[in-house]
Amino acid sequence: MSSKQLTVQSQLEKFPSVLPKFIIGLLSFVVFYILATITISFKGINERGLLIAINAFKGLFNPSVKIITDLGQYGLLQMLFETLAIAFLGTIIGLVFAIPLAFLASRNMFPKGINNICLTLISVIRAFPSFMLGIMFVKSIGPGAFAGVLSMAIGSIGMLSKLIIEVIEDLNPGIAEALDAAGCSTFEKIRYGLIPQLSSNIISIVLYRLDINVKNATILGIVQAGGIGAQLMFAIGARRWPDAGAMLLGVIFMTVVLEYFSTKIRTRLAGQKG
Amino acid sequence: MIDDILHIFFPRTYTLGNGKVVKEKFNWAPYITIAVIVFSILCAIATKVDIPRLIQRSNAFWDLIREMIPPNWSFWRDLQKPMIDTIVMSVLGTVVGCLIALPTSFYLSSNFELNNVYLVGHRGLLSLLRTLPTLVYAQLLSIVIGTGTLAGTVSISIFTYTICVKMLYEQIETVDMGPYEALQSTGASRAKCMIKAIYPQIRGYFWATVLYCFETNVRSAAILGYVGAGGIGVQINEQLTWRRYGNTGLMVLVLVITVVIIETISRELRKKLVQG
Repeated sequence: MSSKQLTVQSQLEKFPSVLPKFIIGLLSFVVFYILATITISFKGINERGLLIAINAFKGLFNPSVKIITDLGQYGLLQMLFETLAIAFLGTIIGLVFAIPLAFLASRNMFPKGINNICLTLISVIRAFPSFMLGIMFVKSIGPGAFAGVLSMAIGSIGMLSKLIIEVIEDLNPGIAEALDAAGCSTFEKIRYGLIPQLSSNIISIVLYRLDINVKNATILGIVQAGGIGAQLMFAIGARRWPDAGAMLLGVIFMTVVLEYFSTKIRTRLAGQKG
Repeated sequence: MIDDILHIFFPRTYTLGNGKVVKEKFNWAPYITIAVIVFSILCAIATKVDIPRLIQRSNAFWDLIREMIPPNWSFWRDLQKPMIDTIVMSVLGTVVGCLIALPTSFYLSSNFELNNVYLVGHRGLLSLLRTLPTLVYAQLLSIVIGTGTLAGTVSISIFTYTICVKMLYEQIETVDMGPYEALQSTGASRAKCMIKAIYPQIRGYFWATVLYCFETNVRSAAILGYVGAGGIGVQINEQLTWRRYGNTGLMVLVLVITVVIIETISRELRKKLVQG
Protein backbone atom coordinates (compact mmCIF):
# COMPACT_ATOMS: atom_id res chain seq x y z
CA MET A 1 0.00 0.00 0.00
CA SER A 2 2.68 2.45 1.09
CA SER A 3 4.73 1.97 -2.07
CA LYS A 4 1.69 2.88 -4.17
CA GLN A 5 1.15 6.12 -2.27
CA LEU A 6 4.80 6.90 -2.80
CA THR A 7 4.50 6.59 -6.59
CA VAL A 8 1.54 8.94 -6.67
CA GLN A 9 3.48 11.39 -4.55
CA SER A 10 6.54 11.21 -6.81
CA GLN A 11 4.41 11.55 -9.92
CA LEU A 12 2.82 14.66 -8.46
CA GLU A 13 6.23 16.14 -7.74
CA LYS A 14 7.40 15.36 -11.26
CA PHE A 15 4.51 17.38 -12.65
CA PRO A 16 5.81 20.69 -14.05
CA SER A 17 5.04 23.83 -12.12
CA VAL A 18 2.19 25.96 -13.40
CA LEU A 19 3.95 29.19 -12.41
CA PRO A 20 5.60 29.94 -15.82
CA LYS A 21 2.32 29.38 -17.60
CA PHE A 22 0.59 31.64 -15.10
CA ILE A 23 3.16 34.37 -15.68
CA ILE A 24 2.82 34.07 -19.47
CA GLY A 25 -0.93 34.31 -19.14
CA LEU A 26 -0.72 37.37 -16.92
CA LEU A 27 1.77 39.08 -19.23
CA SER A 28 -0.34 38.45 -22.32
CA PHE A 29 -3.37 39.76 -20.48
CA VAL A 30 -1.48 42.97 -19.67
CA VAL A 31 -0.34 43.29 -23.30
CA PHE A 32 -3.86 42.83 -24.60
CA TYR A 33 -5.21 45.27 -22.01
CA ILE A 34 -2.71 47.92 -23.12
CA LEU A 35 -3.57 47.26 -26.78
CA ALA A 36 -7.22 47.62 -25.94
CA THR A 37 -6.75 50.93 -24.14
CA ILE A 38 -4.75 52.32 -27.08
CA THR A 39 -7.37 51.65 -29.75
CA ILE A 40 -10.70 51.02 -28.16
CA SER A 41 -12.65 53.76 -26.52
CA PHE A 42 -15.82 52.78 -24.77
CA LYS A 43 -18.16 55.66 -24.16
CA GLY A 44 -20.75 53.53 -22.44
CA ILE A 45 -24.12 52.46 -23.72
CA ASN A 46 -26.42 55.39 -23.30
CA GLU A 47 -30.15 55.19 -22.84
CA ARG A 48 -30.74 55.71 -26.54
CA GLY A 49 -28.54 52.80 -27.48
CA LEU A 50 -30.46 50.54 -25.17
CA LEU A 51 -33.76 51.72 -26.61
CA ILE A 52 -32.45 51.12 -30.12
CA ALA A 53 -31.34 47.63 -29.15
CA ILE A 54 -34.79 46.79 -27.79
CA ASN A 55 -36.48 48.16 -30.91
CA ALA A 56 -34.05 46.27 -33.11
CA PHE A 57 -34.78 43.03 -31.31
CA LYS A 58 -38.53 43.58 -31.64
CA GLY A 59 -38.18 44.38 -35.33
CA LEU A 60 -35.89 41.48 -36.12
CA PHE A 61 -38.41 39.03 -34.71
CA ASN A 62 -41.34 40.68 -36.50
CA PRO A 63 -40.13 40.61 -40.10
CA SER A 64 -42.15 42.72 -42.48
CA VAL A 65 -44.44 40.56 -44.61
CA LYS A 66 -44.64 43.19 -47.33
CA ILE A 67 -41.02 42.77 -48.38
CA ILE A 68 -41.21 38.96 -48.31
CA THR A 69 -44.27 38.75 -50.56
CA ASP A 70 -43.13 41.57 -52.88
CA LEU A 71 -41.99 40.07 -56.18
CA GLY A 72 -40.67 43.36 -57.59
CA GLN A 73 -37.12 44.61 -57.84
CA TYR A 74 -36.82 45.39 -54.15
CA GLY A 75 -38.68 42.28 -53.02
CA LEU A 76 -36.84 39.78 -50.90
CA LEU A 77 -36.98 36.93 -53.42
CA GLN A 78 -35.48 38.87 -56.26
CA MET A 79 -32.71 40.30 -54.07
CA LEU A 80 -31.85 36.86 -52.74
CA PHE A 81 -31.79 35.42 -56.23
CA GLU A 82 -29.50 38.22 -57.36
CA THR A 83 -27.14 37.45 -54.46
CA LEU A 84 -27.17 33.76 -55.30
CA ALA A 85 -26.65 34.53 -58.98
CA ILE A 86 -23.59 36.68 -58.24
CA ALA A 87 -22.09 33.93 -56.12
CA PHE A 88 -22.89 31.13 -58.57
CA LEU A 89 -21.74 32.90 -61.70
CA GLY A 90 -18.67 34.22 -59.91
CA THR A 91 -17.73 30.72 -58.83
CA ILE A 92 -18.26 29.25 -62.31
CA ILE A 93 -16.24 31.98 -64.06
CA GLY A 94 -13.57 31.68 -61.38
CA LEU A 95 -13.43 27.93 -62.00
CA VAL A 96 -13.06 28.44 -65.75
CA PHE A 97 -9.95 30.53 -65.08
CA ALA A 98 -8.72 28.48 -62.14
CA ILE A 99 -8.48 25.10 -63.87
CA PRO A 100 -5.93 26.07 -66.56
CA LEU A 101 -4.01 28.13 -64.01
CA ALA A 102 -3.92 25.17 -61.64
CA PHE A 103 -2.65 22.85 -64.40
CA LEU A 104 0.08 25.35 -65.27
CA ALA A 105 1.08 25.61 -61.62
CA SER A 106 1.24 21.89 -60.78
CA ARG A 107 4.66 20.35 -60.59
CA ASN A 108 3.76 17.10 -62.34
CA MET A 109 2.34 18.85 -65.41
CA PHE A 110 4.60 21.74 -66.41
CA PRO A 111 8.24 22.78 -65.87
CA LYS A 112 9.29 24.63 -62.76
CA GLY A 113 9.65 28.08 -64.35
CA ILE A 114 6.01 28.19 -65.44
CA ASN A 115 4.93 26.81 -62.05
CA ASN A 116 6.61 29.60 -60.15
CA ILE A 117 5.14 32.34 -62.33
CA CYS A 118 1.63 30.93 -61.88
CA LEU A 119 2.06 30.35 -58.15
CA THR A 120 3.14 33.98 -57.66
CA LEU A 121 0.13 35.14 -59.67
CA ILE A 122 -2.17 32.99 -57.53
CA SER A 123 -0.78 34.28 -54.25
CA VAL A 124 -1.07 37.90 -55.42
CA ILE A 125 -4.73 37.31 -56.34
CA ARG A 126 -5.32 35.60 -53.01
CA ALA A 127 -3.85 38.44 -50.97
CA PHE A 128 -5.76 41.17 -52.81
CA PRO A 129 -8.75 42.15 -50.66
CA SER A 130 -11.90 41.13 -52.53
CA PHE A 131 -13.92 44.20 -51.59
CA MET A 132 -11.17 46.36 -53.12
CA LEU A 133 -11.75 44.47 -56.38
CA GLY A 134 -15.45 45.18 -55.98
CA ILE A 135 -14.76 48.88 -55.53
CA MET A 136 -12.48 48.99 -58.56
CA PHE A 137 -15.00 47.24 -60.80
CA VAL A 138 -17.80 49.48 -59.57
CA LYS A 139 -15.66 52.55 -60.32
CA SER A 140 -14.74 51.34 -63.81
CA ILE A 141 -17.81 49.57 -65.23
CA GLY A 142 -20.46 51.18 -63.08
CA PRO A 143 -22.42 49.93 -60.06
CA GLY A 144 -24.55 46.82 -60.29
CA ALA A 145 -24.52 43.08 -60.00
CA PHE A 146 -22.18 42.66 -62.99
CA ALA A 147 -19.36 44.36 -61.08
CA GLY A 148 -20.09 41.97 -58.23
CA VAL A 149 -19.86 38.95 -60.52
CA LEU A 150 -16.49 40.07 -61.89
CA SER A 151 -14.95 40.78 -58.50
CA MET A 152 -16.28 37.50 -57.13
CA ALA A 153 -14.86 35.61 -60.12
CA ILE A 154 -11.39 37.06 -59.71
CA GLY A 155 -11.59 36.71 -55.93
CA SER A 156 -12.37 32.99 -56.25
CA ILE A 157 -9.53 32.17 -58.64
CA GLY A 158 -6.91 32.21 -55.89
CA MET A 159 -8.42 29.71 -53.51
CA LEU A 160 -9.93 27.48 -56.20
CA SER A 161 -6.66 27.07 -58.08
CA LYS A 162 -4.70 26.55 -54.88
CA LEU A 163 -6.97 23.67 -53.88
CA ILE A 164 -7.12 22.24 -57.42
CA ILE A 165 -3.31 22.19 -57.60
CA GLU A 166 -3.28 19.84 -54.62
CA VAL A 167 -5.71 17.51 -56.39
CA ILE A 168 -3.72 17.54 -59.62
CA GLU A 169 -0.44 16.85 -57.83
CA ASP A 170 -2.11 13.84 -56.19
CA LEU A 171 -3.00 12.32 -59.58
CA ASN A 172 -2.04 8.72 -60.07
CA PRO A 173 0.37 8.59 -63.07
CA GLY A 174 -0.12 4.83 -63.40
CA ILE A 175 -3.60 5.24 -64.85
CA ALA A 176 -2.39 7.43 -67.72
CA GLU A 177 0.42 4.95 -68.40
CA ALA A 178 -2.00 2.05 -68.44
CA LEU A 179 -4.26 3.85 -70.92
CA ASP A 180 -1.18 4.65 -73.02
CA ALA A 181 -0.28 0.97 -73.06
CA ALA A 182 -3.81 0.11 -74.16
CA GLY A 183 -3.34 2.41 -77.14
CA CYS A 184 -5.68 5.26 -76.17
CA SER A 185 -5.61 8.62 -77.93
CA THR A 186 -4.96 11.85 -75.99
CA PHE A 187 -8.67 12.62 -75.87
CA GLU A 188 -9.47 9.18 -74.51
CA LYS A 189 -6.70 9.51 -71.95
CA ILE A 190 -8.24 12.76 -70.72
CA ARG A 191 -11.77 11.35 -70.78
CA TYR A 192 -11.06 8.05 -69.02
CA GLY A 193 -7.83 8.78 -67.13
CA LEU A 194 -7.96 12.38 -66.01
CA ILE A 195 -11.57 13.47 -65.60
CA PRO A 196 -12.75 10.58 -63.39
CA GLN A 197 -9.83 11.20 -61.05
CA LEU A 198 -10.41 14.92 -60.81
CA SER A 199 -14.14 15.51 -61.13
CA SER A 200 -15.39 14.54 -57.69
CA ASN A 201 -12.63 16.47 -55.93
CA ILE A 202 -13.13 19.54 -58.08
CA ILE A 203 -16.90 19.45 -57.57
CA SER A 204 -16.47 19.39 -53.81
CA ILE A 205 -13.95 22.24 -53.95
CA VAL A 206 -16.36 24.28 -56.08
CA LEU A 207 -19.26 23.61 -53.72
CA TYR A 208 -17.09 24.66 -50.79
CA ARG A 209 -16.14 27.90 -52.53
CA LEU A 210 -19.79 28.48 -53.52
CA ASP A 211 -20.69 28.38 -49.82
CA ILE A 212 -18.06 31.02 -49.08
CA ASN A 213 -19.08 33.13 -52.06
CA VAL A 214 -22.75 33.22 -51.06
CA LYS A 215 -21.64 34.63 -47.71
CA ASN A 216 -19.30 37.11 -49.41
CA ALA A 217 -21.99 38.17 -51.88
CA THR A 218 -24.09 39.55 -49.04
CA ILE A 219 -21.39 42.08 -48.18
CA LEU A 220 -20.64 43.10 -51.78
CA GLY A 221 -23.72 45.31 -51.66
CA ILE A 222 -21.93 47.73 -49.37
CA VAL A 223 -19.70 48.84 -52.25
CA GLN A 224 -22.76 48.98 -54.58
CA ALA A 225 -21.81 45.79 -56.39
CA GLY A 226 -25.30 44.30 -56.28
CA GLY A 227 -26.93 41.69 -54.12
CA ILE A 228 -28.96 42.02 -50.96
CA GLY A 229 -26.19 43.79 -49.02
CA ALA A 230 -26.96 47.37 -50.03
CA GLN A 231 -30.65 47.17 -49.12
CA LEU A 232 -29.85 45.32 -45.89
CA MET A 233 -27.34 47.95 -44.80
CA PHE A 234 -29.71 50.78 -45.75
CA ALA A 235 -32.49 49.14 -43.78
CA ILE A 236 -30.30 48.76 -40.69
CA GLY A 237 -28.83 52.25 -41.10
CA ALA A 238 -32.28 53.81 -41.43
CA ARG A 239 -33.48 51.65 -38.53
CA ARG A 240 -36.25 50.02 -40.54
CA TRP A 241 -35.99 46.98 -38.31
CA PRO A 242 -38.88 44.88 -39.71
CA ASP A 243 -37.40 45.14 -43.22
CA ALA A 244 -33.93 44.38 -41.91
CA GLY A 245 -35.33 41.41 -39.99
CA ALA A 246 -36.98 40.00 -43.10
CA MET A 247 -33.78 40.37 -45.11
CA LEU A 248 -31.60 38.85 -42.38
CA LEU A 249 -33.99 35.90 -42.18
CA GLY A 250 -33.80 35.55 -45.95
CA VAL A 251 -30.00 35.55 -45.92
CA ILE A 252 -29.87 33.06 -43.05
CA PHE A 253 -32.40 30.77 -44.73
CA MET A 254 -30.61 30.82 -48.08
CA THR A 255 -27.19 30.18 -46.58
CA VAL A 256 -28.38 27.41 -44.30
CA VAL A 257 -30.21 25.59 -47.10
CA LEU A 258 -27.23 25.90 -49.43
CA GLU A 259 -24.80 24.79 -46.75
CA TYR A 260 -26.97 21.77 -45.98
CA PHE A 261 -27.07 20.57 -49.58
CA SER A 262 -23.43 21.32 -50.29
CA THR A 263 -22.29 19.45 -47.17
CA LYS A 264 -24.51 16.52 -48.13
CA ILE A 265 -23.19 16.33 -51.68
CA ARG A 266 -19.61 16.75 -50.49
CA THR A 267 -19.86 13.91 -47.97
CA ARG A 268 -21.31 11.68 -50.68
CA LEU A 269 -18.51 12.53 -53.07
CA ALA A 270 -15.92 11.91 -50.37
CA GLY A 271 -17.55 8.54 -49.66
CA GLN A 272 -17.38 7.54 -53.31
CA LYS A 273 -13.67 8.21 -53.45
CA GLY A 274 -12.68 6.21 -50.38
CA MET B 1 -23.81 11.60 -85.35
CA ILE B 2 -27.25 12.36 -83.88
CA ASP B 3 -27.31 8.82 -82.62
CA ASP B 4 -24.02 9.36 -80.78
CA ILE B 5 -25.33 12.52 -79.10
CA LEU B 6 -28.57 10.78 -78.09
CA HIS B 7 -26.58 7.98 -76.50
CA ILE B 8 -24.90 10.48 -74.18
CA PHE B 9 -28.29 10.99 -72.52
CA PHE B 10 -29.90 7.58 -72.98
CA PRO B 11 -27.59 4.66 -72.24
CA ARG B 12 -27.27 2.01 -74.94
CA THR B 13 -28.59 -1.49 -74.48
CA TYR B 14 -26.82 -4.41 -76.10
CA THR B 15 -28.29 -7.81 -76.83
CA LEU B 16 -25.65 -10.51 -76.47
CA GLY B 17 -25.48 -13.67 -78.51
CA ASN B 18 -27.16 -15.74 -75.80
CA GLY B 19 -30.11 -13.35 -75.76
CA LYS B 20 -29.03 -11.55 -72.59
CA VAL B 21 -29.68 -7.79 -72.55
CA VAL B 22 -26.85 -5.66 -71.14
CA LYS B 23 -27.49 -2.03 -70.21
CA GLU B 24 -24.85 0.66 -70.13
CA LYS B 25 -24.44 2.35 -66.74
CA PHE B 26 -26.63 5.41 -66.40
CA ASN B 27 -24.65 8.63 -66.08
CA TRP B 28 -25.97 11.79 -64.44
CA ALA B 29 -23.08 13.98 -65.60
CA PRO B 30 -24.56 15.28 -68.90
CA TYR B 31 -27.84 16.25 -67.20
CA ILE B 32 -25.99 18.05 -64.41
CA THR B 33 -23.77 19.85 -66.93
CA ILE B 34 -26.80 21.08 -68.85
CA ALA B 35 -28.53 22.16 -65.63
CA VAL B 36 -25.45 24.12 -64.58
CA ILE B 37 -25.22 25.82 -67.98
CA VAL B 38 -28.92 26.73 -67.98
CA PHE B 39 -28.69 28.06 -64.42
CA SER B 40 -25.58 30.06 -65.34
CA ILE B 41 -27.44 31.69 -68.21
CA LEU B 42 -30.34 32.51 -65.87
CA CYS B 43 -27.87 34.02 -63.43
CA ALA B 44 -26.22 35.98 -66.22
CA ILE B 45 -29.60 37.47 -67.13
CA ALA B 46 -30.36 38.27 -63.48
CA THR B 47 -27.02 40.00 -62.94
CA LYS B 48 -27.20 41.84 -66.29
CA VAL B 49 -23.91 40.46 -67.59
CA ASP B 50 -22.80 42.75 -70.39
CA ILE B 51 -19.62 41.64 -72.15
CA PRO B 52 -19.51 44.57 -74.65
CA ARG B 53 -19.63 47.00 -71.74
CA LEU B 54 -16.83 45.12 -70.02
CA ILE B 55 -14.63 45.36 -73.13
CA GLN B 56 -15.58 48.98 -73.69
CA ARG B 57 -14.93 49.99 -70.08
CA SER B 58 -11.93 47.79 -69.40
CA ASN B 59 -9.73 50.80 -70.20
CA ALA B 60 -11.22 52.56 -67.20
CA PHE B 61 -10.20 49.63 -64.99
CA TRP B 62 -6.58 49.79 -66.13
CA ASP B 63 -6.64 53.57 -65.83
CA LEU B 64 -7.74 53.17 -62.23
CA ILE B 65 -4.83 50.83 -61.55
CA ARG B 66 -2.44 53.19 -63.35
CA GLU B 67 -3.62 56.04 -61.13
CA MET B 68 -2.95 53.94 -58.03
CA ILE B 69 0.69 53.48 -59.13
CA PRO B 70 2.86 54.98 -57.83
CA PRO B 71 1.27 55.08 -54.40
CA ASN B 72 1.37 58.34 -52.50
CA TRP B 73 4.03 57.51 -49.89
CA SER B 74 3.51 60.68 -47.85
CA PHE B 75 0.06 59.38 -46.93
CA TRP B 76 1.71 56.74 -44.71
CA ARG B 77 1.70 59.13 -41.73
CA ASP B 78 -2.10 59.32 -41.73
CA LEU B 79 -2.39 55.62 -42.42
CA GLN B 80 -0.46 54.29 -39.43
CA LYS B 81 -3.18 54.79 -36.84
CA PRO B 82 -6.05 53.15 -38.77
CA MET B 83 -3.81 50.28 -39.85
CA ILE B 84 -2.77 49.58 -36.25
CA ASP B 85 -6.43 49.91 -35.27
CA THR B 86 -7.39 47.29 -37.86
CA ILE B 87 -4.79 44.80 -36.65
CA VAL B 88 -5.50 45.37 -32.96
CA MET B 89 -9.22 45.01 -33.60
CA SER B 90 -8.69 41.65 -35.23
CA VAL B 91 -6.20 40.49 -32.57
CA LEU B 92 -8.49 41.37 -29.70
CA GLY B 93 -11.61 40.09 -31.45
CA THR B 94 -9.90 36.78 -32.20
CA VAL B 95 -8.54 36.36 -28.66
CA VAL B 96 -11.83 37.17 -26.97
CA GLY B 97 -13.87 35.05 -29.37
CA CYS B 98 -11.59 32.02 -29.14
CA LEU B 99 -11.20 32.21 -25.36
CA ILE B 100 -14.98 32.16 -24.94
CA ALA B 101 -15.27 29.43 -27.58
CA LEU B 102 -12.83 27.03 -25.89
CA PRO B 103 -14.87 26.16 -22.78
CA THR B 104 -18.15 26.33 -24.70
CA SER B 105 -16.99 23.85 -27.30
CA PHE B 106 -16.43 21.21 -24.59
CA TYR B 107 -20.04 21.53 -23.56
CA LEU B 108 -21.17 21.34 -27.19
CA SER B 109 -19.38 18.09 -28.04
CA SER B 110 -21.61 15.07 -28.16
CA ASN B 111 -19.07 12.65 -26.66
CA PHE B 112 -19.53 13.77 -23.05
CA GLU B 113 -23.22 12.89 -23.09
CA LEU B 114 -24.37 16.18 -21.63
CA ASN B 115 -27.76 17.77 -21.94
CA ASN B 116 -28.97 17.02 -25.47
CA VAL B 117 -31.58 19.77 -25.68
CA TYR B 118 -29.00 22.41 -24.77
CA LEU B 119 -26.54 20.92 -27.24
CA VAL B 120 -28.90 20.91 -30.19
CA GLY B 121 -30.31 24.33 -29.32
CA HIS B 122 -26.96 26.05 -28.91
CA ARG B 123 -25.51 24.39 -32.01
CA GLY B 124 -28.56 25.37 -34.06
CA LEU B 125 -28.38 28.97 -32.88
CA LEU B 126 -24.69 29.11 -33.73
CA SER B 127 -25.20 27.68 -37.20
CA LEU B 128 -27.79 30.40 -37.83
CA LEU B 129 -25.50 33.14 -36.51
CA ARG B 130 -22.58 31.78 -38.51
CA THR B 131 -24.32 32.62 -41.77
CA LEU B 132 -24.15 36.37 -41.11
CA PRO B 133 -20.93 38.11 -42.12
CA THR B 134 -18.95 40.25 -39.66
CA LEU B 135 -20.10 43.35 -41.50
CA VAL B 136 -23.74 42.84 -40.53
CA TYR B 137 -22.84 42.55 -36.85
CA ALA B 138 -20.67 45.64 -37.17
CA GLN B 139 -23.51 47.61 -38.73
CA LEU B 140 -25.95 46.53 -36.01
CA LEU B 141 -23.48 47.16 -33.18
CA SER B 142 -22.28 50.51 -34.49
CA ILE B 143 -25.86 51.72 -34.14
CA VAL B 144 -26.41 50.21 -30.70
CA ILE B 145 -23.08 50.91 -28.97
CA GLY B 146 -21.92 53.76 -31.17
CA THR B 147 -19.47 53.88 -34.05
CA GLY B 148 -15.82 53.16 -33.36
CA THR B 149 -13.36 50.38 -32.86
CA LEU B 150 -15.36 48.81 -30.03
CA ALA B 151 -18.21 47.89 -32.37
CA GLY B 152 -15.68 46.35 -34.76
CA THR B 153 -13.94 44.36 -32.04
CA VAL B 154 -17.18 43.01 -30.60
CA SER B 155 -18.50 42.02 -34.01
CA ILE B 156 -15.24 40.26 -34.85
CA SER B 157 -15.35 38.36 -31.58
CA ILE B 158 -18.96 37.28 -32.17
CA PHE B 159 -18.07 35.99 -35.63
CA THR B 160 -14.91 34.28 -34.35
CA TYR B 161 -16.89 32.65 -31.56
CA THR B 162 -19.40 31.16 -33.98
CA ILE B 163 -16.81 29.60 -36.29
CA CYS B 164 -14.25 28.67 -33.64
CA VAL B 165 -16.79 26.71 -31.56
CA LYS B 166 -17.76 24.62 -34.57
CA MET B 167 -14.18 23.80 -35.55
CA LEU B 168 -13.31 22.92 -31.95
CA TYR B 169 -16.25 20.68 -31.13
CA GLU B 170 -15.76 18.78 -34.36
CA GLN B 171 -12.18 18.16 -33.28
CA ILE B 172 -13.12 17.28 -29.69
CA GLU B 173 -15.52 14.64 -30.98
CA THR B 174 -12.60 12.78 -32.55
CA VAL B 175 -10.35 12.63 -29.46
CA ASP B 176 -9.40 9.50 -27.55
CA MET B 177 -11.78 9.19 -24.58
CA GLY B 178 -9.55 6.74 -22.67
CA PRO B 179 -7.67 9.31 -20.56
CA TYR B 180 -10.95 11.05 -19.78
CA GLU B 181 -12.53 7.87 -18.46
CA ALA B 182 -9.38 7.01 -16.51
CA LEU B 183 -9.43 10.38 -14.81
CA GLN B 184 -13.14 10.11 -14.12
CA SER B 185 -12.58 6.79 -12.38
CA THR B 186 -10.19 8.52 -9.96
CA GLY B 187 -13.08 10.77 -8.96
CA ALA B 188 -12.02 13.97 -10.67
CA SER B 189 -14.77 16.43 -11.53
CA ARG B 190 -15.96 16.69 -15.12
CA ALA B 191 -14.32 20.08 -15.71
CA LYS B 192 -10.99 18.81 -14.36
CA CYS B 193 -11.17 15.74 -16.61
CA MET B 194 -11.80 17.94 -19.62
CA ILE B 195 -8.86 20.21 -18.81
CA LYS B 196 -6.40 17.45 -17.99
CA ALA B 197 -7.44 14.70 -20.40
CA ILE B 198 -9.08 16.33 -23.41
CA TYR B 199 -7.44 19.75 -23.71
CA PRO B 200 -3.87 18.39 -24.18
CA GLN B 201 -5.15 16.36 -27.13
CA ILE B 202 -6.59 19.38 -28.93
CA ARG B 203 -4.06 21.99 -27.77
CA GLY B 204 -2.18 22.16 -31.08
CA TYR B 205 -5.38 22.21 -33.06
CA PHE B 206 -6.82 24.94 -30.85
CA TRP B 207 -3.89 27.32 -31.47
CA ALA B 208 -3.99 26.48 -35.18
CA THR B 209 -7.68 27.43 -35.15
CA VAL B 210 -6.87 30.69 -33.36
CA LEU B 211 -4.33 31.54 -36.06
CA TYR B 212 -6.74 30.60 -38.84
CA CYS B 213 -9.44 32.82 -37.32
CA PHE B 214 -6.94 35.65 -36.99
CA GLU B 215 -6.08 35.36 -40.69
CA THR B 216 -9.71 35.54 -41.79
CA ASN B 217 -10.41 38.35 -39.35
CA VAL B 218 -7.60 40.59 -40.62
CA ARG B 219 -9.14 40.30 -44.08
CA SER B 220 -12.66 41.07 -42.93
CA ALA B 221 -11.60 43.81 -40.48
CA ALA B 222 -10.38 45.96 -43.36
CA ILE B 223 -13.90 46.53 -44.64
CA LEU B 224 -15.54 47.18 -41.26
CA GLY B 225 -14.76 50.89 -41.45
CA TYR B 226 -17.35 51.19 -44.19
CA VAL B 227 -20.10 51.00 -41.60
CA GLY B 228 -18.18 53.16 -39.14
CA ALA B 229 -16.75 50.35 -37.05
CA GLY B 230 -13.18 51.65 -37.09
CA GLY B 231 -10.04 50.58 -38.88
CA ILE B 232 -8.70 51.25 -42.35
CA GLY B 233 -12.07 50.97 -44.06
CA VAL B 234 -13.01 54.50 -42.97
CA GLN B 235 -9.97 55.85 -44.80
CA ILE B 236 -10.60 53.75 -47.91
CA ASN B 237 -14.13 55.06 -48.11
CA GLU B 238 -13.01 58.71 -47.68
CA GLN B 239 -10.10 58.60 -50.10
CA LEU B 240 -12.18 56.92 -52.79
CA THR B 241 -14.94 59.50 -52.45
CA TRP B 242 -12.35 62.27 -52.86
CA ARG B 243 -10.84 60.37 -55.80
CA ARG B 244 -7.35 60.31 -54.31
CA TYR B 245 -6.27 57.13 -56.00
CA GLY B 246 -2.60 57.52 -55.04
CA ASN B 247 -3.59 57.23 -51.39
CA THR B 248 -5.85 54.29 -52.18
CA GLY B 249 -2.96 52.59 -53.93
CA LEU B 250 -0.83 52.89 -50.81
CA MET B 251 -3.65 51.46 -48.69
CA VAL B 252 -4.07 48.49 -51.00
CA LEU B 253 -0.32 47.89 -50.96
CA VAL B 254 -0.15 48.06 -47.16
CA LEU B 255 -3.16 45.73 -46.84
CA VAL B 256 -1.74 43.19 -49.26
CA ILE B 257 1.67 43.21 -47.52
CA THR B 258 0.08 42.86 -44.09
CA VAL B 259 -2.10 39.97 -45.22
CA VAL B 260 0.83 38.20 -46.88
CA ILE B 261 3.07 38.61 -43.79
CA ILE B 262 0.38 37.41 -41.39
CA GLU B 263 -0.54 34.48 -43.65
CA THR B 264 3.06 33.36 -44.04
CA ILE B 265 3.76 33.48 -40.31
CA SER B 266 0.51 31.79 -39.47
CA ARG B 267 0.99 29.06 -42.09
CA GLU B 268 4.45 28.19 -40.76
CA LEU B 269 3.24 28.22 -37.15
CA ARG B 270 0.24 26.08 -37.99
CA LYS B 271 2.40 23.51 -39.73
CA LYS B 272 4.49 23.22 -36.56
CA LEU B 273 1.43 23.10 -34.29
CA VAL B 274 -0.36 20.38 -36.19
CA GLN B 275 2.77 18.27 -36.44
CA GLY B 276 3.39 18.21 -32.72
